[in-house]
Amino acid sequence: MMKIDLKLLKKEAEKEINSACDLQSLNEISNKYSGKKGKLTLVLKSLASLPKAKRAKVGAEANDIKRFLNSLLDLKARELKERLEKEAEEKEWIDISAPGNKPLAGHLHPLTQARRKVNEIFQSMGFSVVEGPEMENEWYNFDALNIPKDHPARDLWDTFYLENGLLLRTHTSPNQVRYMEKNQPPLRIIVPGVVYRHEATDASHESNFYQLEGLMVDKTVSVANFKAIIGEFYQRFFGKDVKVRLIPSYFPFVEPGFQVDMICLNCGGKGCPSCSYSGWLEMMGAGMVHPKVLKAAGLVPKGWQGFAFGMGLDRLMMMKYKVNDIRLSYSGDLRFLKQF
Amino acid sequence: MHSFEVEEVKRVGDDFILDISVLPNRAADCFSHMGIAKECSVLTGLDFQIPKTLFKEDKGLKVGSFVSVEVKDKTACPRYFAKAVSGVKIGPSPKWLKDRLKSCGLRPINNIVDIANYVMLETGQPLHAFDGDKIEGKKIIVRFARAKEKMVTLDEQKFDLDSDVLVIADEKKPVAIAGIKGGKLPEIDARTKNIVIESANFNPSIIRKASRKLGLKTDASLRFEHGFDPNMAPFAADRAAFLIQKLAGGKVAKGSVDVYPNKVLPKTLKVDLNYVDSMLGKDIPEGVVKAILRKLGFQILKEEKKSKLLFIKVPTIRQDVTIQEDVIEEIGRVFGYEKIDPVFPLSSAVPPKKNLDIFWQELTKDIFKEAGFCEVYNYSFFGQEGAELLKSQKGQLIEVKNPLSSEQKYLRIGLLPNLLKNVERNINYTKDIRIFELGKIFKRPKEEKLMLAGLMVAESFYHVKGAVDHLFEGLGAAGVWYDEYKPTPEDSGASMWHPKKCAEIKIGDQEIGFLGEISPKVIGTLGFKESIVSFDIDFEKLSRFVSEEKEYRPISRFPATIRDIAVLVPRTVKVDEVLNKINGVKEELVVDVDLFDAYEGEELPKGKKNLAFHIIYQAKNRTLKSEEVDKTQDKIIKALEEDPGWQVRKR
Repeated sequence: MMKIDLKLLKKEAEKEINSACDLQSLNEISNKYSGKKGKLTLVLKSLASLPKAKRAKVGAEANDIKRFLNSLLDLKARELKERLEKEAEEKEWIDISAPGNKPLAGHLHPLTQARRKVNEIFQSMGFSVVEGPEMENEWYNFDALNIPKDHPARDLWDTFYLENGLLLRTHTSPNQVRYMEKNQPPLRIIVPGVVYRHEATDASHESNFYQLEGLMVDKTVSVANFKAIIGEFYQRFFGKDVKVRLIPSYFPFVEPGFQVDMICLNCGGKGCPSCSYSGWLEMMGAGMVHPKVLKAAGLVPKGWQGFAFGMGLDRLMMMKYKVNDIRLSYSGDLRFLKQF
Repeated sequence: MHSFEVEEVKRVGDDFILDISVLPNRAADCFSHMGIAKECSVLTGLDFQIPKTLFKEDKGLKVGSFVSVEVKDKTACPRYFAKAVSGVKIGPSPKWLKDRLKSCGLRPINNIVDIANYVMLETGQPLHAFDGDKIEGKKIIVRFARAKEKMVTLDEQKFDLDSDVLVIADEKKPVAIAGIKGGKLPEIDARTKNIVIESANFNPSIIRKASRKLGLKTDASLRFEHGFDPNMAPFAADRAAFLIQKLAGGKVAKGSVDVYPNKVLPKTLKVDLNYVDSMLGKDIPEGVVKAILRKLGFQILKEEKKSKLLFIKVPTIRQDVTIQEDVIEEIGRVFGYEKIDPVFPLSSAVPPKKNLDIFWQELTKDIFKEAGFCEVYNYSFFGQEGAELLKSQKGQLIEVKNPLSSEQKYLRIGLLPNLLKNVERNINYTKDIRIFELGKIFKRPKEEKLMLAGLMVAESFYHVKGAVDHLFEGLGAAGVWYDEYKPTPEDSGASMWHPKKCAEIKIGDQEIGFLGEISPKVIGTLGFKESIVSFDIDFEKLSRFVSEEKEYRPISRFPATIRDIAVLVPRTVKVDEVLNKINGVKEELVVDVDLFDAYEGEELPKGKKNLAFHIIYQAKNRTLKSEEVDKTQDKIIKALEEDPGWQVRKR
């Protein structure tokens, strides 16, 4: 049997393991000592030839060393593996500041988004959403709304006339009559839709634009009710407490009639260019439904009363998103549309 | 806050000009300084002072010897009131009068004309002053013009009159257009001595009609158009006589001519105080209501305490107050809407009805958004260019009688022309264009229809078809198929579609739309370099086939087996035909067939293409054995090879 200094062997092995620089050399070291022909293996194999007393002692010592070396190998292997992984990861560094690849995104028109929000708010207050035709006849657009022919009130609405005898509705109000012809009060509706005005376009005027009509008729509907509903609407639409005021106004299909002003969101009422330094913004026309309108719809006015209002959806949308030119809505410009 | 908005306050010398936007229904009482003053006194409680009218009448002069009046049509001219002043001295007006007229935008002319204008501004009553000696026969006749009669107005404009135009005539000819403008003939000039002041009242719709017909709007016509109180006539004439005497001297003839057959009397209205409170939503004390009414000059005739009724007399100057609701407006605005607190309605909480039309419209928009499309809104109009693109429908175009521009000459009969315009607007900075619109189109005679159209730039037919299929899946519209487009002889040449790359979209036997590539010719005309694929769907028709129902189909616990099959067919054979053959085998183990490759290339025999499908086999109750699948696969191969021109490619 060879004479091997186990202590020395342990020391040597320990040194080699600690200085191994990669897994392969560690493996070689492992083989060198505990492999089939490894130094330590040989010691263990040679035990049989030793006298019994010595066998036990050397055996125990050799086994201790083996256990020690194994754990050392494991530790080193783990350390080397970790280092390797780290190095590999290091190589996979990416620039997280570079832009992401966006999925193909579509966009809904801001007017669609505004209208959805308006519809949702009014529906939660019990209003049904209805629609009506864009080509109207004079009766629904004017006469039924107490705007007789040859009356200067007609000048309030610049109208497109069609060769087929119809006209393009100048407001959504014809639907008050259309709806009440078919539905008995109590009723609450809103009517969103495009309307047409024969007027030159600029940043705040369009010949096509969107309006929202509202109508509520019941036994005791009042101006106070209107103030509550419309205040609640603006508050929910703009997401903040907004002040509203009514100013006397004239629309032939309501009596009393008023204009609804809202405190300027831009300056909070102090006065700024967007409210022409008045602190207020004109938001809509409204009033208590004129008895002649109820009559035109075939109702007996006595016993029914209610309010109606008509607001510009474009205006509302523009205020919400701070859009400064109404024409952008109808331009089809993707640089505008993709912002919503 | 209570009546009108002051648009502007401007300082002029020591004075201020208020630009007040008077509501049109208040024209009768407030298109005048007196009216505004009255309004101010109501709102502030200050005293209202009536302008002076005290002049001296000359008992020796009779108005009758200067003028007589005959009104032919009493509806057209409810009142004709006239006074005469003799021996006036024509000259310029004093500075104060000139300044005031100028401030109000009127040009001073001479003392008489200026006074007539000034009194109109004060009272709202348009006046006209004639040179009494130039009126033939000293007779004024109010009548409709006769055909071919002509008129030269004070400002030298010439008008051809007809029987729609009411005129003031003397015995021979018209001397003024009633209620609109005076004529040149009886003009006041430096030598004028005797004045006839007209303070008349004319029918609003007759004045409006004539004014529109002649294209002539004046301060007078504006006031008459809105309707004016005939009871104001004497006061205004007196005020003018007073000022003439003061500023131009002369003697006022005794009496006046007054043709006023049907006197307008103040209306009596019943005001139900309970109704007032119910309309306004506020209990306003009876005393407050009465005080408001009195301040407005509404006389309280009678009260019924128990039933809370008031009977009031409304002065005729308030032409806008004709029903109880008008009185409620007066009470509301003077009381102050700001004092009415918001109260939520207590009426029955009927849940709102779901509007299915809108539901499907919104869902459709969401589906296209998901698919990466941008929604656009276009005008409902288009011009000649748009009409050309849809030539085959030319006969159904609705023309706008008064378009704003030639670009907006017609109502759109299809959405695509404007969508192509959108491409034009965007193409210079992006090729990434996928847009859609859901909007109305208009057809003769009186049809309007909701359409859905969209387009993609630089994409293939199959991309747009995929997008449309995605829509139908999302809407739960079953049974959609695509039919080859067979143009009728009249629209074949006019079509905007690529003749070979387009299809009719059908559900059952109903055609609901169209899709395909825009014809290269059109693309060329528009100057685009990229091809465009698009779709055009009758949304109303489509809505009849949509369904919200969705049913879960259990997923089999047993694995699926996928076998591929490739078949070489002539290139004109449609995928549908091959699919029909495969599906015709009717094996319940086949749960799905997918085309995953379609190839035409040089390696293939000429005129042939290779179609490759995944065939997915699955059973509900067991794992399939290889032999079972082979058996079915063989059946499919056999079916495909029934046609001698088709060849299944074995690997």
